[in-house]
Amino acid sequence: MPTVQLFATCLGDLAFPDAVADAEALLGEAGFEVEFPRSQVCCGQPAFNAGHRAAARRVGRTFARAFSWKAPVVMPSGSCAAMVAHRLPELLGREPWEVYELSAFLAASGFEPRRLNEGRTVAYHDSCHMLRDLRISAEPRRLLEASGATIAPLPRQDLCCGFGGTFSVRQPEISLAMADEKLAGAAGAEALVTADPGCITHLRGRSERTGGPRVVHLATVLARGLG
Amino acid sequence: MSLAQPPERFREAARAALADDHVEQALDEATARLYGMRVEAWGALDDAQALRERGREIRVRTVAELDSHLDAFQQALEARGGHVHRCADAAEARAAIAGICTAAGAKLVAKSKSMATEEIGLNEALEDAGIEVVETDLGEWILQLSGEHPVHIIAPAIEKTAADVARLFSELDGSEVSTELPELTRFARTRLRRVFETADVGITGANFAVAETGSICLVENEGNARLVTSLPRVHVVLLGMERVVPTLADLSVLLRLLARSATGQKLSSYTTLITGPRRPGEQDGPEELHVIVLDNGRSNLRGTRYQEMLSCIRCGACLNVCPIYRKAGGGAYGPVYSGPMGAVLVPLLVGLEQAPALPHASSLCGACTDACPVKIPLHELLLDLRSDLVEGGIASRGERLGFTLWSYAWSSPLGYRLSTALARLGMPLAGLGGPGRVWAKGRAFPRLSRRYRDSR
Repeated sequence: MPTVQLFATCLGDLAFPDAVADAEALLGEAGFEVEFPRSQVCCGQPAFNAGHRAAARRVGRTFARAFSWKAPVVMPSGSCAAMVAHRLPELLGREPWEVYELSAFLAASGFEPRRLNEGRTVAYHDSCHMLRDLRISAEPRRLLEASGATIAPLPRQDLCCGFGGTFSVRQPEISLAMADEKLAGAAGAEALVTADPGCITHLRGRSERTGGPRVVHLATVLARGLG
Repeated sequence: MSLAQPPERFREAARAALADDHVEQALDEATARLYGMRVEAWGALDDAQALRERGREIRVRTVAELDSHLDAFQQALEARGGHVHRCADAAEARAAIAGICTAAGAKLVAKSKSMATEEIGLNEALEDAGIEVVETDLGEWILQLSGEHPVHIIAPAIEKTAADVARLFSELDGSEVSTELPELTRFARTRLRRVFETADVGITGANFAVAETGSICLVENEGNARLVTSLPRVHVVLLGMERVVPTLADLSVLLRLLARSATGQKLSSYTTLITGPRRPGEQDGPEELHVIVLDNGRSNLRGTRYQEMLSCIRCGACLNVCPIYRKAGGGAYGPVYSGPMGAVLVPLLVGLEQAPALPHASSLCGACTDACPVKIPLHELLLDLRSDLVEGGIASRGERLGFTLWSYAWSSPLGYRLSTALARLGMPLAGLGGPGRVWAKGRAFPRLSRRYRDSR
């Protein structure tokens, strides 16, 4: 059985353990042996995006110590995949890893999800790192549709949800206005699905306050259905 | 005019814009319209990416050899009877232009839209010298009447609706001016006609300067720049030093990019090439043509990581596509340049410590980089500016200390486990102060239950 290394990401590990478990289950269903390096911590992205490169390097080294170059690294997070693929090698002066965002990896491996979402309607939010950095937009949609779901298009799918790491607390008024617009666009769907824990933290946190739609990680929708 | 932007100003201005439904709606509609037109225009091109790449290549190559292209431009223009004045900063440029106007005995100056003149605060300087200055671009004229600054580099009055303008014109006229667009433009045309006919000096910016011919290229849709450059006796051009292109062939590539990116047009209604003053036997055109070549901080960028920002052709596409600009409005970035291009350019022109909030006025979504017709990596430059804020000790002490402590805690699995166990215990307190409090004002915290690694 081919082996993959699973990076939970710090947000996944701390705040969304169920979504990480779902990601691991999907990789198993797709026929992969999943290794979980116990010493993993974080890719350093929060500091890097705020301009703190020495801090990012310090934390990013934990990634280089935990993950080998011998098997693909898969993570249920578009922004961490972008960080590890496009920033970390240069920041640390290390060879690039073979890095995949979960949905792109599953789609490339020919995985067919179970039809758990027959007759359900969801909206899908592209995380900016997936859409414009990794150029992944068709794969998550294809997987959702293969699971039986109908995708209700969001207005202006290209627009950011307003998280942006420290941006969310530096400019909270704009950040919230952007979240509200995104959530309002998903009002007709049963859930707003996305594949980035950063967007989920922000959108779900806002939606809980405003009574907006459910915000669910793609891995959960594919592994267990909308429920 | 100062481009400097105190730290809290962005958030305060954005908050005011967000609180004004009227402004939000005008911004939303106008940016969506410009965005839609641009996407359609690019979609109609056979190979848009190849054209972008050609545009980028032309700009990067030209900026790399800027001095020789500027020299060539100067030589060609002087051979045609024009005058070139090189100015190191805003004060020099203001003095040069005021000197030309005074020497011409000017009482009235007609201006066409120019962000560079906004950058140097030209109008105030000329008014101080006792000269009447009238903006003739419709949007700029509206702002001049209302005493405001442009909030968009292409559509300066983008936050105003027809009703706002009708109210302003009615006050000016002392009678009711209708909100119908033809009525509003007729009103402006009648008023501005006097200015075109009687102005002593016409002042314009320049979209491009062509080195091989010594020409100035002006791109517009209202025709006012043509009148400003052909009727007054003296024409003064304020040219940002980076806006030179080597040849007419290069210009044609950039014009195709500019019009599509700015307004979704194949070509603007008026694209004018001016090569020297009026020659013997010609019917119109100015007797004197002066080109002010403005540095004003641009040289700071040369030879640095940020040199590519000098490729900017001021199309405004990054503003229209920016989700932050859409919400914050142009005023939040300061009185002149706004949106992603402003967030990058302003700190580079005036120094990071003078505009420390601007590199953070972005969620780094990258839409600006995707939209840029000359492929400036705008959000990458913002990231680098953020790093400069930290390296230069401009980022706050608290922020630097916070990230440093965090990075030591998370530099080992043990430190991660201990610090996150502590954080879980401390969660009930998270909303009491600092960034947690800001977060909690509008959003719930995620529930930290059991770490995934502990359940596995």
